[in-house]
Amino acid sequence: MPQSLADDSFGDLVRLVAQQRDRAAFAALFRQFAPRILQYCRKLGADQGVAEELVQDVMLTVWLKADSYDPAQASVGTWIFTIARNRRIDRLRKESRPVPDMDDPAMTPVSQATPEEAAQLVQGSRRLHGAIGTLAPNQSEVLRRSYFLEQTHEEIAEETDVPLGTVKTRLRLALGHLKRSMKDTA
Amino acid sequence: MTFPHHHPDDQLLIGYASGQERVGKSLLVATHLAYCPDCRRRVAAFEALCGSWFEELPGEAAADLDGLLDRMDGLLVAPPATADKSADAEAPRLFDVAGEPAGRLVPEPLRSWLPEAIDSPVDCGSWTELSPGVWLSAWQRTLAGTNICLLRMAHDAPVPAHRHTADELLLVLRGAFSDEYGHYELGDVAHYVAPTDHHARGASKEDCICLFLLDGDLIFLDGEEERRAG
Ligand SMILES: [Zn+2]
Repeated sequence: MPQSLADDSFGDLVRLVAQQRDRAAFAALFRQFAPRILQYCRKLGADQGVAEELVQDVMLTVWLKADSYDPAQASVGTWIFTIARNRRIDRLRKESRPVPDMDDPAMTPVSQATPEEAAQLVQGSRRLHGAIGTLAPNQSEVLRRSYFLEQTHEEIAEETDVPLGTVKTRLRLALGHLKRSMKDTA
Repeated sequence: MTFPHHHPDDQLLIGYASGQERVGKSLLVATHLAYCPDCRRRVAAFEALCGSWFEELPGEAAADLDGLLDRMDGLLVAPPATADKSADAEAPRLFDVAGEPAGRLVPEPLRSWLPEAIDSPVDCGSWTELSPGVWLSAWQRTLAGTNICLLRMAHDAPVPAHRHTADELLLVLRGAFSDEYGHYELGDVAHYVAPTDHHARGASKEDCICLFLLDGDLIFLDGEEERRAG
């Protein structure tokens, strides 16, 4: 299993799928990510049958869209997460997720930034990554449960066996920690 | 070029990145992203955080996933030469966008949701006057419990006193407005939590037009009620 492979090795597998339609590379990606897609969909309320259909749907998208993967933008895991997120919103909520259109002439491109703004953007993003990296583990855990697993505060309290007030405090502290990384708090 | 100064808070950005946020507020967040390179980076960072949580999910092979891989074998053909866009389920564009200069155009994804260009004359039937110089669009949607329409304010016209039972969000699409908390220009987001009292008024020469989101019912107070509520 490629579990121990570094991130860029997954990137190599995606490139092999994109350029050579390499089935062995695809199978390796499948073994790594299919169980995680399944878990993700199950935890968000899909039954086993629907979750397996979503696994197939997401992995087929990986096969078909491998050439659109950009290692400069995201890790393979993050890229596959975003596909899984979009598919389960379509399927489980019957909603279509609104997204900006990168080719839209009305989009404000980052290239319009003044040199000062461009520097601020880079700095802001570095500060945010730093803040995410320094979240206390129990604060990161309430973020994960609230936003990634979509649990209510009550569910988090019950599953992690901490008082409801503590859950709310940790969430507030986590968001405060992230907010301090913003370049200008409006 | 000046980018927006008032951004959606992190709850909305993380919720948008994780997929937890529902379609109504996601429409406002995504349209703000079109204006705001800063929040685009912030959302990308939150997506990476979710990606790391995704990678940490237990990976023990659930029953029959190898069978699923075998069953997929027949599907693994080369993708069609032209990118298949039908999966993106784009709403049809109901008005021509070519005529407008890019800077005046409402960006996607909101543009595809709107029936016409936003600055239609106020007397053409697309706007309902609330009070002198303040209008709501005839275009209204309710998405996942969030009420959505456009709010239009003439220069210096005050939005009538109102109260709301849940969150209210504004995204500036044209012109500018001000309230006791700040001055909001193109692409800026104002977010008022439930019981907040606020008094917006148009603050640009041209009419200010905003995307207007409300989680609960909006109750405009007549003079009588206003006195009582105040
Ligand atoms: Zn922003």
